[in-house]
Order: sequence, then structure tokens, then C-alpha cells
Amino acid sequence: MVQIYNDYKEHADFLTVYVREAHPTDEWQMKSNVKDDVCYAQPKTLEQRMAIANDFTKRFKYPLPFGVDDMSNAAELAYAAWPERLYIIDETGHIAYRGGMGPFNYKPAEARDWLAGRFGVVKHEPPSGAAATPAPAPAEKPAAAAEPKK
Amino acid sequence: MKRVLKWAMGVALGLLVVAFGVLSFMAGSPKDALYMVRYALPHMHRGNLKVGDEAPDARLLGLDGETRFHIRERTGGRPLVLVFGSFT
Repeated sequence: MVQIYNDYKEHADFLTVYVREAHPTDEWQMKSNVKDDVCYAQPKTLEQRMAIANDFTKRFKYPLPFGVDDMSNAAELAYAAWPERLYIIDETGHIAYRGGMGPFNYKPAEARDWLAGRFGVVKHEPPSGAAATPAPAPAEKPAAAAEPKK
Repeated sequence: MKRVLKWAMGVALGLLVVAFGVLSFMAGSPKDALYMVRYALPHMHRGNLKVGDEAPDARLLGLDGETRFHIRERTGGRPLVLVFGSFT
């Protein structure tokens, strides 16, 4: 998503909405989270959720505009967004693209296609061994989160 | 009758085993499948939103812990890409 953001931020606004954790230590923790040292219990307070959100953005130097869902999970529920999901809202305030439910149907390429259809394709040189922009979180299966996670 | 019932129970059990096997494959292991059922499935909803619907609003908090804003405040001028997720 960071690459898509960099490619289209002059044409579209972006907002990452941080929702409840997908694989906290006290629920369904993934081995990969232990390996990557991403170990957090499910926040019980807004302060705890804010702390994790800040850890995330600092660790990945995450450049997208960021908002944190409150403890009522209002945004998550309104958009059926857990564990991860993408939407595009058009200029009139209507849903223009509704991504599938992550992790299996979380497809940034579809959002890119939508943006490319509106603003043109942004082409990149084939990778020459250089590291890509760091992903906010491993898109492993079935790890839910992370784009911020994710 | 008893025989039919026995047969039906056998089929049901077989389907259950197959379903759990598929879930274990998707989740990565039988243990992960159990956790998926316990912790993930209750929170996963397809939702009713569809393309063309008015985008719902919700209030969010900025990373500074002070600023509050609404999703719909960010819409209107240009398309808004919403990226939902968490760290783990």
C-alpha cells in the first residue's frame, strides 16, 4: 500500500484506519509475530491501542495518514473491516471500490487498478535487487492484520 | 431406521472431519484452526456495504491521542482510499 500511496497521493487521499488487533498474544497469536517481535495483547484501553498504533507507524516509518478506531470499534463495524480491508470512496462520498475481507481477499492490486483506471497506470522498473518499500506487516496467510497491517 | 441413522451420523462426522481438515490447511495447523474458530470467525463479517452506497462515517483518533476527526471529513475533494488493519 505504501507504494500505491506514493504512486497516487497526488491524485487521491489515503487514510489508514487502525482497528483491533488480529493476532494478539492473548488470542490467536501467529508464530510469525513472535519471529518478527510483534507481540501485543489485545488492547483493553484506548491508550494501549494508541501505543501499538504509534509503535507500528514508527517501526515502519509508515507514511500514510493515520487514524485509530476507538474502543467501540465503530469504524471497523461500519465497514466490516476486521481484520483488514480496503475501500475507495469517491468524490461524492459513495463507495467506489469495496475490497474483500482479509487476509485471503485483501488485494491492494485491485485498489491500484481502480486508481489506474482513474488516473493512469504508474509503471515501475523491474526490481533490481534493491529492497522494496517496507510493508507495514507480513501479508502471511492467514495472518489477518497488517496493512497497517495492514 | 437405526441403520440409516448410523449411516447419516457417519456421513456427518466425515464432513466435519473434512471441514476441519480444510480449515486446518487454511489456518496453517489444527491448533490455528481452533483459534480461528474461537477468535477470528466471530469478528469476520462480509458486511452489507456495496459499491454505490453512501460511505459510513466514524470518528477516529489521531496518533497524537488528542486530535479527533471523522472519516467523512476526509472525503469530498478527491477519492479517498481507506486502508483498514492492525499491527499483528
